[in-house]
Amino acid sequence: MSRDSTMKRRRFLQATGGAASAVALAGCIGGDGGDGNGDGNGENESGNGNGDENESGEDVDLGSGDNILNLVNSTMTTLDPIASTDTASGSVIQQMYEPLTNYPNGETEIENTLIEGVEQSDDLLTYTFSLVEGAQFHNGEEVTANDVIYSWRRLAESENSSRTNFILESTFLTIDHETETQENDEGEEVEVVVPDSLALEAIDDYTLEMTLAQPNANALELLAYAAFAVIPEGYVGDIEGYDGEVDQSELATESPVGSGPFQFETWNPDSEAEVSRFDDYHGSVANVDGVHWQIMEDDDSIYTYAMEGSADIFGIPTAQYDPDLVDAETDDLGRQIGTYGPLENGETAQYNGVPQLSTYYLAFNAAHTPQAVRQAISYVNDHDELITQIFKERGEAAYTFTPPGIWPGGQDEYESFIEDYPYSAGETDRESAREVLEEAGYTQDDPFELTLTTYESDVFQEAGRILRDKLSGIGIELQLEEAPFSTLLERGTNGELAFYSLGWTWSWPEADYGFFGFEPENTVTGEPMQSGETNGYYLDWPESDSDAVEKAQNAWDQVEANPEPEEGLEARNEAYVQIEEAIWEDAIMMPLYHNLEERFHYEHVDIEPFGGMGGYQVVYNDVSLNE
Amino acid sequence: MTMTFIIIRMGPIDPVSAIIGPEGGAAQRSQIESRLGLNDPLWEQYTSFMWNLITFNLGQSWVIQPGRGVYSLLGTYAPRTLWLGFWSVLIALFVGIPLGFYAGLNPNTTGDYFASFGGIVWRSMPNFWLAVMMLAVLRQSERFFFGLDWHTFGVEIGSLVGQPPLDFFGVTGWTTIGLLSIPSGFYFSGTTLAASIKQVLPAAIVLGSASMGSEMRIGRTAVLETINSNYVETAKAKGLSNRIIVWKHVFRNALIPLVPIITNEAFVLIGGSVIVEVVFSINGLGYLFFQAAVQGDLPLVGSLMFIFVLLIVGMNIFQDFLYTILDPRVGYER
Repeated sequence: MSRDSTMKRRRFLQATGGAASAVALAGCIGGDGGDGNGDGNGENESGNGNGDENESGEDVDLGSGDNILNLVNSTMTTLDPIASTDTASGSVIQQMYEPLTNYPNGETEIENTLIEGVEQSDDLLTYTFSLVEGAQFHNGEEVTANDVIYSWRRLAESENSSRTNFILESTFLTIDHETETQENDEGEEVEVVVPDSLALEAIDDYTLEMTLAQPNANALELLAYAAFAVIPEGYVGDIEGYDGEVDQSELATESPVGSGPFQFETWNPDSEAEVSRFDDYHGSVANVDGVHWQIMEDDDSIYTYAMEGSADIFGIPTAQYDPDLVDAETDDLGRQIGTYGPLENGETAQYNGVPQLSTYYLAFNAAHTPQAVRQAISYVNDHDELITQIFKERGEAAYTFTPPGIWPGGQDEYESFIEDYPYSAGETDRESAREVLEEAGYTQDDPFELTLTTYESDVFQEAGRILRDKLSGIGIELQLEEAPFSTLLERGTNGELAFYSLGWTWSWPEADYGFFGFEPENTVTGEPMQSGETNGYYLDWPESDSDAVEKAQNAWDQVEANPEPEEGLEARNEAYVQIEEAIWEDAIMMPLYHNLEERFHYEHVDIEPFGGMGGYQVVYNDVSLNE
Repeated sequence: MTMTFIIIRMGPIDPVSAIIGPEGGAAQRSQIESRLGLNDPLWEQYTSFMWNLITFNLGQSWVIQPGRGVYSLLGTYAPRTLWLGFWSVLIALFVGIPLGFYAGLNPNTTGDYFASFGGIVWRSMPNFWLAVMMLAVLRQSERFFFGLDWHTFGVEIGSLVGQPPLDFFGVTGWTTIGLLSIPSGFYFSGTTLAASIKQVLPAAIVLGSASMGSEMRIGRTAVLETINSNYVETAKAKGLSNRIIVWKHVFRNALIPLVPIITNEAFVLIGGSVIVEVVFSINGLGYLFFQAAVQGDLPLVGSLMFIFVLLIVGMNIFQDFLYTILDPRVGYER
C-alpha cells in the first residue's frame, strides 16, 4: 500500500503545483490591490490596482428606508470639544456643539451661530458679543454668557484640554490673561494660566466682552474652531470653582451636551455613532431624524459599504477611483460640482471636489543635508507626474507652501509667482541636478547618502521610490523608511529626520497661519522649547548658513512688527512672499501637492456642496433625504 | 511585560505627539506630559506600571479612547473578536478535520485528491487577498450567483461590513437569593442570532481558511500514520469491525498531533486577526492592540499584552489537560 501511494503522490503534487500557480495568476489580474492606506491624516485614501467596473447596471436597494443620514467615519477618539484634535471626532462634535461662529458647509466665509453680532473697540482689542436669546442646550437650559466663559475657561485651564495654545498663545487667539510660575514634578519652572484670569466678562446674560492681549485679524475665524464650543456652565468639574455634574470621561464618551442641531444617541467605539435631531434647536431645525456614522478604516470595507447603498454620502478610495468617470464643472469658488459614474452598482453619484487649504510636502533638515542635495532633489522632482501617476489627479501640484486659494493678492499673483519656479517645473531635470551635485563634490562613485522618512502610506512611499530611481547614478543614494505619524513628529522634534514627508492644514483661511513655522530661529530642533512657543517645521534652517535664512528671518521680523489686522496686512503679505522665495532659494522644503477633497453622494440626498475648509466642518441640519 | 514597557516608553513612539498633532505648542506638550505622568522618573513609571498590572488596576487609555477605562474597552472590543474567533475555529474544526479524516481513510481516491487539493488551495490563499475578494464577490452577488442577493438571502442584513449584532441573547431580570444574584429572565432572538452568524460568516471563513487547510492536511497524515500502525493491524486481526477500529483506535490517536495545532490557532486568532477585522470593519481586539501599539498608548498596550499572556498560559494549561483525556500515557500521576 505504502509503495504505490508514493508513486501516486508525485503525480498528485505535479497537478496541485500547476493549479496553485493558476490561482496565483488570477490573483494578480483580478486583485483589487488591497494595500490602500490613509496618508497619515486620514483625509485621503491611496493604493494602486484597478477597480473593476460594472457594465451590467442592475438597480441596488439604496438607503435603509428611514429618515437617517448614513455616513462613514474613521476612528473617533473623544466627544469633548477641548480634547478633540482629529477630524473624525470633529465631524461628530460639529453636529452636537456650537461655537459662536462657524463655517457654513465648510466654506471659507464665517457665519454667526450663537451670536447676533459683534462690536469691536477702536484699539481692536475688545470684542463685545451679543448672544442669541433663547438658544437652548440639549438639557433644556438656556445658553448665556456665563456658559461661554465657563467653556472657554475649560479650554484654557482644564488639564484635559489639548488646545490650550489656541486660546492663550500668540500665534493664535491670545485672550488677555495672567500667568503664574509653578514648579512641576521635575522641579522645572513652568508658566501656567491663573484660574479665572481670562479677560472675559459677562455684562449681562446675553452680552459677553472679550479682551485680547494683541490684535488678531482672524479672531472670529478662530472662534469657529470646535474647541471653542459652548457647554452648560458647571457641567464638568475639571476647572477651579466647579464640582461638575458629570466626570470629564462621561462627557467625552457618553453624555455630551451642547446646543447644536443634533443631540447625542450612541457611540460604540470603532463601530458606530449616532446623533438624533434636537427639536428645540434655535437655528434651522434638522430635516433628517438623525445622522449615523459607521466607523471603518479599510478601503475595501468603505467601498463595499458605499456600493451596497448603506452609506448616503461617501468617499471613494483611490484604488477604486477612476478620474475619467468624473463629469464636473468648476464654480466661482473653485469647486468642482458634477457627477461621477457609473459606479460599480450602476448608479451615478453626485460629485463634489474641493481643493483644500492644505499642503503636503517633503522637507529637509539643514543640519543633515547640504544645499546642493536639496536643490538636486527639487530639480528631479516632477509635480505633474506625481499627481497623475500616484494621486490619480486627486490633487493639485504645489509649488509654494501657501495654497493658491489664500495666496496674498489672489490667484493671478499666484500664477505669475510660480512662473519663476527655479527647479524646472513639470519635468525631471537630471542634468541640472547632476551639475549642482558635481559642483558640491557628489558623484556617482561618491554619492551622498540620505534617508527619506514618510508617513505609513503607500502613496508617499511610491513618491519616494520614484525620486530614488531618478536620483540613482547622479550622486545621491536615497533610502526609504516609513514611520507612524506620532513617531514622525517625535523624531522631527528631536532633529533626527534628514528628509521627511508631512503636511499642513490651515485652520482658518488666511496666509498668516502656518508661516510662524518658518521663522529660522523657530525651526531649530532638539532644544527644549520655551513655554509659549510653537513648533517650527523641523528644518534646523539656520544651519544652512545662506542668504535665504537671513531673508526669511528679516521677513518674519517684518511680520511681527506689523500685527495690525488691516494696516499691517500689506507688509505682512510682502513678507510672506519673501519667505516663499527664501524657501525656493534654499530648497529647504519641497511642497508636493494640495489635497483635493472629494465627496460623493447618491441622488436621493439633497445637500449643498461643501467648501475649502473641509467636509468635516459640514453640519447636516439642512440636508434632506428623498427616498 | 518589561519588554512592552521598554519598547513603548524608550522607543521612538511618542503618545504626546499622537495626541496633539503638528499644531501643538511646547506648553501644551508639557501639560499633557504631566497629566499622563510622563515627567516622572522612568523607574517610577515602570514600578507603577507593573504594580498596576499585577493588581489588575488597568487604568484608562491615553491616546486611542481617552476617558475610557481599559476594562470597558475590553468589554466592547473583546466580544467582537471572540465571536469571530469562535466561528473561524469552529469552521476549521468541523470542516477541516472531518475532511482530513475522510481523506486519510480513503487515500488516493478521487475524493482524497479533491480534499487534499482543496486543503492546499485554502492554505495558500492569503487572508488579506481572500477577504478583499470575498467582499468584491458578495457585494455584487446578483451578478455572480444568478440574481441571488446575499444581503437578503436567508436573514436580511443591512451591510456586509460592520460588527455582527451580539444582542441576540440577554438577561432581562435578576433574582437575588441571599447574597447571590442569579438571572431569572432571558430573552433569545433566533433571527438576530442568524443575522449575527451571517454577518460574521464571510470573515470567519477567511480567517479560518488557513487553519482549515492545515488541519485537513495534518488530519490526513495522522490518520494515514495510525491506520498503518501495528496495533490497527492487530485490531483487524482480532476481527473488530471497521467502525470500531476507526472510532476507537484511529480517531483518538490521530487527534493527538492535532491538539497543539488547534490550541495554537486559537490564540493566533485572538491576537492575529487584525487584517481580517479591519477589512470587514469588525474592529476588535487585534485592531485595538495594533492602534494602541503604534500610538504609544502604554496602559492599553500593557493591559492587552497582559491579558494575551494570561490567555496563552491558560490555553496551554487547557491543552495539557486535553492530552490527559486523549492520551492515556500522559497523566497527573507519576
